[in-house]
Amino acid sequence: MIEVTGLTKQYGNIRALDNLSFSVRRGRVFGLLGPNGAGKTTTIKILTTLSKPDGGRALIAGHDVVKESIAVKKLMGVMPQENNLDRELTAYENLLIYSMLHGVPDREAKIRWCLQLVDLWARRDELLMRFSGGMQRRLLIARALLTEPSVLFLDEPSIGLDPQIRRQVWDIIRKTRIEGRTVVITTHYIEEAEALCDHVGILDKGALIALDTPDNLKATVGEYIVEFVNDEGKLIQQMCKDREEANNLVLCTDCEVRIRRTNLEDVFIKLTGERIE
Amino acid sequence: MIGGAWYPIFLREMLLFRRQLLRISYLFSAMLIPIIYLLTFGLGLGRMVQIQGADYLSYLIPGLVALTSMMNSYTWVANALNLNRLYFKNFQVFIQAPIQPSAIMIGEVLAGMVKGLFASGLILIVGFITSRNVSVTPLFVPTLLLNCFLFSSLGVITGMITKSHEDTATYNNFFILPMAFFCGTFFPVDRIPEPLKALVWVLPLTHTNVLIRENSLDAGVMISLAVLCLYAITFFLIGSRLIRDYSE
Repeated sequence: MIEVTGLTKQYGNIRALDNLSFSVRRGRVFGLLGPNGAGKTTTIKILTTLSKPDGGRALIAGHDVVKESIAVKKLMGVMPQENNLDRELTAYENLLIYSMLHGVPDREAKIRWCLQLVDLWARRDELLMRFSGGMQRRLLIARALLTEPSVLFLDEPSIGLDPQIRRQVWDIIRKTRIEGRTVVITTHYIEEAEALCDHVGILDKGALIALDTPDNLKATVGEYIVEFVNDEGKLIQQMCKDREEANNLVLCTDCEVRIRRTNLEDVFIKLTGERIE
Repeated sequence: MIGGAWYPIFLREMLLFRRQLLRISYLFSAMLIPIIYLLTFGLGLGRMVQIQGADYLSYLIPGLVALTSMMNSYTWVANALNLNRLYFKNFQVFIQAPIQPSAIMIGEVLAGMVKGLFASGLILIVGFITSRNVSVTPLFVPTLLLNCFLFSSLGVITGMITKSHEDTATYNNFFILPMAFFCGTFFPVDRIPEPLKALVWVLPLTHTNVLIRENSLDAGVMISLAVLCLYAITFFLIGSRLIRDYSE
């Protein structure tokens, strides 16, 4: 469904994307994980036709995002990282304008369906400036689904959301996947990538440094992490391939230890030596 | 999709405009500068002045209408586009929609025209109240429409090329403000010192001020009409191109 080959993008002296290549199969949830400034949003901007690459190529359903941008736009729904809803319009008016821009047939029914999906139908005639941040994020995801897109791009979908709303957003994304849509998510939340994605690409400084399923990526660092504070007061994290190795390590240590399962951040730390922040 | 693709962009602006109209500050800011000019130059200084044998107000008011149409068409489009592009990011919604760049241009320009015509209409009403000699010539309405179109298109260009909101004020100070004073709004262009005259005749508002006061189609009028049309087409094409080439 998505084919990205050798994508590069430069902003002044900063190389935002460095020869990025990956592909996403139809109906899969693909996550781009990385710290702020890794190139996640730049990738989404190029794939959603907002930014033109300096080099390389990106195809969505066989359409080039630069040369056939109108065809690409017809296939995609976008939830941007920054809230770009009109705060001086109502929820309904926001979706109405969007549906008209995208030529959505049977507008009234679709808008109603989308607003009901995110529990905002009852507040459809309120101006957005009176909505909380969480409600606006929910409306953004509803807007992205309004066109029933084949590919859904979600740029940091749960940023700034409280845990309850985040779960609601995750449920919507899972439902979307069941409906057969391809989803691309950027996130710097480890648990979000693990909970939602079939495949995860780890980005650092504009380059893809790992790409696989979350389980396979975690397997590269082992199943367990043993954490303890050494004599110098420094947190030590020891990666262990299984529980037995972790237990043996605990027996060799006379200080307080904690054993936990590995996560994608451990993969990132192993690959870059830094935490995802 | 292309045929009416401009309409949602226009409709969005009109929905926002309808809410702006409910705020006193909007009407106040749209009319403030022309009203100050009317009071200062028209009702104050103008009582002592005659131009081309007629009272000054009958000369000034069509010029103020042209000035208002320029300022409102230009300023609202330039500011809105700049803010929507750089701060609110609403403009990105248009770019990501499956519509042609020209549809975005048409929607923005038509919305700017409505705002320009609305403010001009208010000034004209004030003009009718303050002077009995104000006349609306046959070329008045087409000129006003053309002027609004032209300056809305210029507003799109400014809105697309400015790097910050402060930049908009710079363009305003260097292009719009000099036009307001030197292009025949307050006094005929032939009173301007000779070295400046050629420059003033290049500026579009000069030709709007010629046309808006004319009754018949002579050669001079046709030249002014051609100049305005040329500006309008050029600005529209440049604006469309800037939207087409938009990239973050």
